[in-house]
Formats: sequence, structure tokens, C-alpha cells
Amino acid sequence: MIETVPETEEKVAVDLPWNVVVHNDPVNLMSYVTMVFKRVFGYSTERATEHMLEVHHKGRSIVWTGPREKAEFYVQQLHSYLLLATLEKAA
Amino acid sequence: MQIARTEEGSFVVSGIEPPLIDFLMAIPTAADPGENAAARERLFPAPSAEAEIREEWREYVEPGLKEWFQSASLAVQDDLRQLGQLGQLGQLHEGPTMTIAAEHVDSWLSVLNQARLALAARFDVTDADMERPVAPVLQNEREQALFQIHFYGFLQECLIKGIESEE
Repeated sequence: MIETVPETEEKVAVDLPWNVVVHNDPVNLMSYVTMVFKRVFGYSTERATEHMLEVHHKGRSIVWTGPREKAEFYVQQLHSYLLLATLEKAA
Repeated sequence: MQIARTEEGSFVVSGIEPPLIDFLMAIPTAADPGENAAARERLFPAPSAEAEIREEWREYVEPGLKEWFQSASLAVQDDLRQLGQLGQLGQLHEGPTMTIAAEHVDSWLSVLNQARLALAARFDVTDADMERPVAPVLQNEREQALFQIHFYGFLQECLIKGIESEE
């Protein structure tokens, strides 16, 4: 009989992906937000514009998903550009 | 007032009408949240609903952000000193000129945004406020803040267009 060792809860929590979410605010310029997405994530103009419009029309956009450490780095970058950004555990 | 990008990547702001000089000189002050809680919260928002992440952020990330914002403000103040050197009547008639050095452009984008967001937070500016026209006569501090938000936004747009024309 093969026995498997279950992963610890901690390792599972670390492995779960995290979302980087950008939230709308009435002041940031659309052109500025698009520029920031291109700079921080290397997105094309088209993809950056899609996310910017999602923020504008829906109030928020999940702009990236991945490991927590990278998500924290991206949120820090977005804060340095003064975007309203948060990280949350992906569903 | 005209704003033109040079081949070297700097921006020349020329023909600045005297009333706008005060608003330009006010940028660093407007960008400083000071003791205003709403402005501080907007410039340094919480990164997460989780308390542990927020505490770590305050300790390890916020100091670096403050340092960047302050360094950007110093670069902007450096360029604004050109406006403080007005002395000749001829300059006032033509409108003075200020050059934003190429290596300062990102600082200007940051400080203009800091100013816009801090002003909006201080005066509780809403979506509706942003969409209505600015009053032709700035009768109070709030109307003045709205004018600054739009004027600084215009400057940001000019810089962004200039940067993107290079790409």
C-alpha cells in the first residue's frame, strides 16, 4: 500500500495564487493608468487599455494573478505610481 | 502656454501666463499630505484587508514610497526654481520659460499625481465634481483646488503624450 504524506496547510496557503487588483478613483487620468500598466506589467497598449477600461467601468480589475511575493512586488510598484491597488487571495 | 518635447527628452514649458506661475509653484506644497488624514490615506493606501499584510506594509514598504515621493518633489522644486528667477519685465510680458529635464520627467508625473490626489482627498472631490466645468471665477479654496487638479492633469497629459510619441 502506498502512503502519501499530505501537504501542510502552510505550504498550501503559500502555493495559492494571489490577485493584484486595481480599484477606480475619479482623479487618475485614463492615459496615466494605461501608461502605468504598460510600464509595470509590460502589457501591450491594447491589454493595458482593456484593464484600464475595466477599472473605469466596473470599479476594479484583476490585472495579474500569481505567487504572493510577486503580487506584493507589483502592488508596491503600482502604489509608487499612486494607483489604488490591493492584493487578495484568488478564488 | 506651450509645452514641447525636445529630441533629448526634456520638456520646454514656455509662454507661461503669470496667473499660472503661482499654480506651478504650488505643486510641491499641494503634493505634501502634511497632517491631513484623508490625503495621507490616499497617498499611502492599505494594500490588503488582511491586518498582517497591512502591518508589514507600513513597516517595510511605506518608508520606501515616502522616500521616492520626497525625492521626486525635490527634482520638481529644482526645475521650478527657474520660475523664481524672474527679474526682467520683458520676461513677464512674454511669459517665462521653464525646462523640465529629461531625467526629471518621471518625478514630475509622480508629483503632479501626488498633488492631484492629495487635493482631491483634502476637499473630498467626487466623480461629479471631476465631470463638471470649473467655475470661471475661483471663489473659494475648493474651486481653486478643482482648478489645480485639472491644470495639473493637463500637464500630466502633455508629458504622457510626449513620452508616448517617443515610443
